[in-house]
Amino acid sequence: MNKVLKGKVWAFGDNINTDLMYPHACYTLPEEERPLHTMWANRPGWAQQVNSGDILVAGKNFGVGSSRPAASNLKGLGISVVVAESVNGLFLRNSVNVGLPVVSCQGVSGIVREGDTVTVNLETGTLIDETSGKTAEFRPLPGFLMDIIEAGGIIEVLRKNGYIDSNPL
Amino acid sequence: MNIVEKIFQDHSENPVNRVEPGDIVNVKVDKVIMLDIAGLHPELLNNPPKKPFDRDKVAMIFDHFVPAPNVEVASGVSKLRKLAKRWDIENFFDYGRGGISHTFAAESGWFLPGRIVANTDSHSIAAGAYNMLSRGLGTPELMQVICTGKTWYIVGETIKVNLTGRMKGATEAKDVFLRMAGEMGDIPNTNIEFGGSGIGSLSVDQRAVISTMCAELSADFAVFPYDNVLASYLDGRSEAPYTPVAADKDETYASTIDFDMSEIRPMVAMPDHVAGNTKPAADVQGSRIDQATIGSCANGRLDDLASAARILKGRKVAKDVRLIVTPATQSIFLQADRLGYLRTIAEAGGVVTNPTCGACMGGHMGLLGEGDIAITSTTRNFKGRMGSRDARIYMASSATVAASAVNGYITDPGDMLEANSDE
Repeated sequence: MNKVLKGKVWAFGDNINTDLMYPHACYTLPEEERPLHTMWANRPGWAQQVNSGDILVAGKNFGVGSSRPAASNLKGLGISVVVAESVNGLFLRNSVNVGLPVVSCQGVSGIVREGDTVTVNLETGTLIDETSGKTAEFRPLPGFLMDIIEAGGIIEVLRKNGYIDSNPL
Repeated sequence: MNIVEKIFQDHSENPVNRVEPGDIVNVKVDKVIMLDIAGLHPELLNNPPKKPFDRDKVAMIFDHFVPAPNVEVASGVSKLRKLAKRWDIENFFDYGRGGISHTFAAESGWFLPGRIVANTDSHSIAAGAYNMLSRGLGTPELMQVICTGKTWYIVGETIKVNLTGRMKGATEAKDVFLRMAGEMGDIPNTNIEFGGSGIGSLSVDQRAVISTMCAELSADFAVFPYDNVLASYLDGRSEAPYTPVAADKDETYASTIDFDMSEIRPMVAMPDHVAGNTKPAADVQGSRIDQATIGSCANGRLDDLASAARILKGRKVAKDVRLIVTPATQSIFLQADRLGYLRTIAEAGGVVTNPTCGACMGGHMGLLGEGDIAITSTTRNFKGRMGSRDARIYMASSATVAASAVNGYITDPGDMLEANSDE
């Protein structure tokens, strides 16, 4: 997995919750359609504009809310990494467990504008806004969590260790 | 070490001398709870774990969509029933047998001091009221715990919240939380340890309302100490031994904040989020509503149904308002039935549903339509959560919700309760 991610920024504010990312309707939709409803209540039409490799930058308390697979929707849209002022602990776990990197980076929302191109280095913990030239630093994810992300999520780890039944339900 | 750190230390896979903020601990889990909602997760249905690490430590409780509101849910949960058979799970609670998972787990005596329980429900933090740890996990992570009996936690800083005084008048535990939420705002990756001379005046159910709601502050864990109130709650609920966990006497915390419960008036959270977004109910008094909802893991308790019945006795729900009441568990439903609460609510023109998470998470039985304004005593008021993205959701105690249902607008329940207690 590439640990230096370069992409176009989508900027969001504070308190972006799981129910915005994974509206209730997603639960009963076919799996491939679920990501298209991301941010349905707060930013209708956004999901249709996201391209693979785009980067989501947000304010504080990103991912507050439920254990629903909100990170899977972002990953399904092709978001490569989430960089937020602060991240809810449950969202962090869910994100890591589906293989989507998410980092807390204080001050990021003040320096990055929507549409900018940024480079996020997950190993060194640096973010460079290529458009403005501004930079920010963050604490890299612990190696233990990066291992799960690099494996493609926790289910792949379980599969590798022989825990998964090959007979679906 | 504080309570959270000591429980981690006790469950650590490898012996550790100390646990402190910033550590990642690998822990053994005492029990795992899987919910019906797992039946809507293709990642589980397509990749089921071969077998649980210990079938007696795994429970399945159907709570989110009870009974199934559509074909997709019905088909998904049937696959889980098949899985329960494949795994030979004895602790399986289908429709009509359990209730909302962690409320049911507590009343069943599974929540004991010092334990760690894994559950996907994001309000699992409720377990802190019982001097133990649980937190929301995703379904893939729950699969990991089912396979291995283990998971990891990143140890956060802990804030001490001292509750002093005693609630007065129409104030309920939800109001204590809403006041906390207004002042503290969001605290991601942080734990709360409750203390203070007032906690002895709170029942275990009232504590559980507060700890449940701390998920809305983005807290990881919100634990209460063990005391006589908890000891008598646990008495007779479980044969299993347990060891209460107390913080070290000289323990220091990241910060300390005090709340005098005797000064807290009924509160309301304004729409869209709770942390840093609450006001006294009196300040919002008069805002028109279309729907009033009482229920959820936090506030579908016997106290909530009692409180609603006390207000609704001899009154009617306003003509243009619908009131929907959802008890949290089958046992609460039955107790409320015996005590006449359900009848009082129904006679006032309220709808009483079976126990489920239901409308709280936008599932079924009481969704909001375009332009609806609701007041709810459930757990979350996110935009779009309970139905239409154009609906507005205020959050308050069950007493405030019931009083608002009667008047048709947001109402501090104080006067109505006084009028009824004079009878």
